[in-house]
Amino acid sequence: MTAEEYVVGDRLTYDDWQEALLDGLLLGQECQDCGYTTGAPKAACPRCGSRGIDAVELPLEGEVHSETTIQVPPSGFERGYQVVVVDVGDARVTGRVDDPGVEIGDDVELSEGRETESGVAAVFERV
Amino acid sequence: MTRASVVGVGMTEFGVHEKRLAELFADAAFPAFDDAGITGDDVDAFYFGNAMSGLSENDTHLAPKIATHIGIPGVPCQRYEDACATSSNAFKNAVEAVEAGVHDVVLVGGVERCTPETGLDTPEMTRVFASASHREYEQPTGLTFPGVFALLTKRHMHEHGTTEEQLAEVAVKNHYHGSLNPRAHFGKETTVEEVLDGPVVADPFRLMDCCPFSDGASAAIVVSDDLADSYSDPVDVTGVGHGTDCVPISDKEQLSATQAARDAADEAYSQAGVSADEVDFVEVHDCFTGAEVLATEALGLFEDGEGGEAAAEGRTRVDGEVPVNPSGGLKAKGHPIGATGTAQITELVEQIRGEAGERQLDDAEVGLAHNLGGDSATTIVSVMEARA
Ligand SMILES: [Zn+2]
Repeated sequence: MTAEEYVVGDRLTYDDWQEALLDGLLLGQECQDCGYTTGAPKAACPRCGSRGIDAVELPLEGEVHSETTIQVPPSGFERGYQVVVVDVGDARVTGRVDDPGVEIGDDVELSEGRETESGVAAVFERV
Repeated sequence: MTRASVVGVGMTEFGVHEKRLAELFADAAFPAFDDAGITGDDVDAFYFGNAMSGLSENDTHLAPKIATHIGIPGVPCQRYEDACATSSNAFKNAVEAVEAGVHDVVLVGGVERCTPETGLDTPEMTRVFASASHREYEQPTGLTFPGVFALLTKRHMHEHGTTEEQLAEVAVKNHYHGSLNPRAHFGKETTVEEVLDGPVVADPFRLMDCCPFSDGASAAIVVSDDLADSYSDPVDVTGVGHGTDCVPISDKEQLSATQAARDAADEAYSQAGVSADEVDFVEVHDCFTGAEVLATEALGLFEDGEGGEAAAEGRTRVDGEVPVNPSGGLKAKGHPIGATGTAQITELVEQIRGEAGERQLDDAEVGLAHNLGGDSATTIVSVMEARA
């Protein structure tokens, strides 16, 4: 399926985004007016306010922008996972890494979308 | 220019309290009334901050409940929730209300309980705090608040070479300041070695890089400039700036810059007509040691990338060139979320009046408070000055 085919209503919703992620696709939105690309579904562009934002497929591979390993987790999570912010193409996305050890600048790729205690998370692994 | 004046302040010790929220708040509000020389009858409105008690204690609509408990039922009450910047947003709105002539005398303050007195253990309270991260996008990753600031700080370390030792120096300094503050949650000094030996919470942060879960309350009486001279010891509010950034973190332009703080500081400095080098001391939102480094740079006290080194060199100690967190900060004084903003205002007032006891600074005419909420998306910066 293409990015647009996941969009059920007027624009990309979190439900659409989750469904695509569970299928192994990372969706985002690109602004027709300023070109900003976001990795988290919105109703309008967070840079310019434009409602002209198109659902796009983001690259599945990217470079770690920042990372931390969580040793004191919230209830419902087991300690020792890494949370990463990753530059994928023109967008920046957030996800997790099961086996900590990736560092800023490392290349990672999406391995799956996973149902967790609080919703669906993008899971990355070292390339 | 004077926008409003604070004529009374009060706060509880920060730490572990068995008292319930309304009882705890009374222990901050009554000292503030007494400090201002007023009674509840004189209060025209209540601007109240509480961040999490709906989740942590099943307690909402707190402003009228607390107003009733402290003997000011009937005054207009409003409650603010902006994560950790909760009561400074209440303060901002109180300043605007007296400045606009909507009210003459306003009680501002906040209360929160975060320790196991709430009945919640560490994982449960960690989940409550994580409610301030993006619900659909970040919470599923298991991101925590130490994790949020770890992501920002790791990026700062990568770009500027900030070290774990420099972060530890922030904790050492704030614990030293806290040892001089009888209301601090932690009154004990620590060492760089002790900080670096602690268990990791979210790297680069170890236990001692993190502020504690605290219970506590704080309050201030805000009046208009016109009325201030009829009180015994007013301290002027000359600037309040309020900045907002994107949530989630991945939509922020630069992780290491805390843009909301920069915007809030610009606005506050501009209103007050002061520059960063004219500020004598600051209280900043050091929920984690890295957050203090980011804050001192965002406020323009140090060049970008130099905040860690400045802390390690002692430039931010009570005897340094620009004392940062003379109260001990969130790190040592404690961080009862909704009470933190007006506790910073309390420290500014006490320092400027010369009433800060052992931690009193020599030259404290212009003070600044930096209170940050959530993943740094909300920041309120307030400038206060001795009344001319
Ligand atoms: Zn745009």
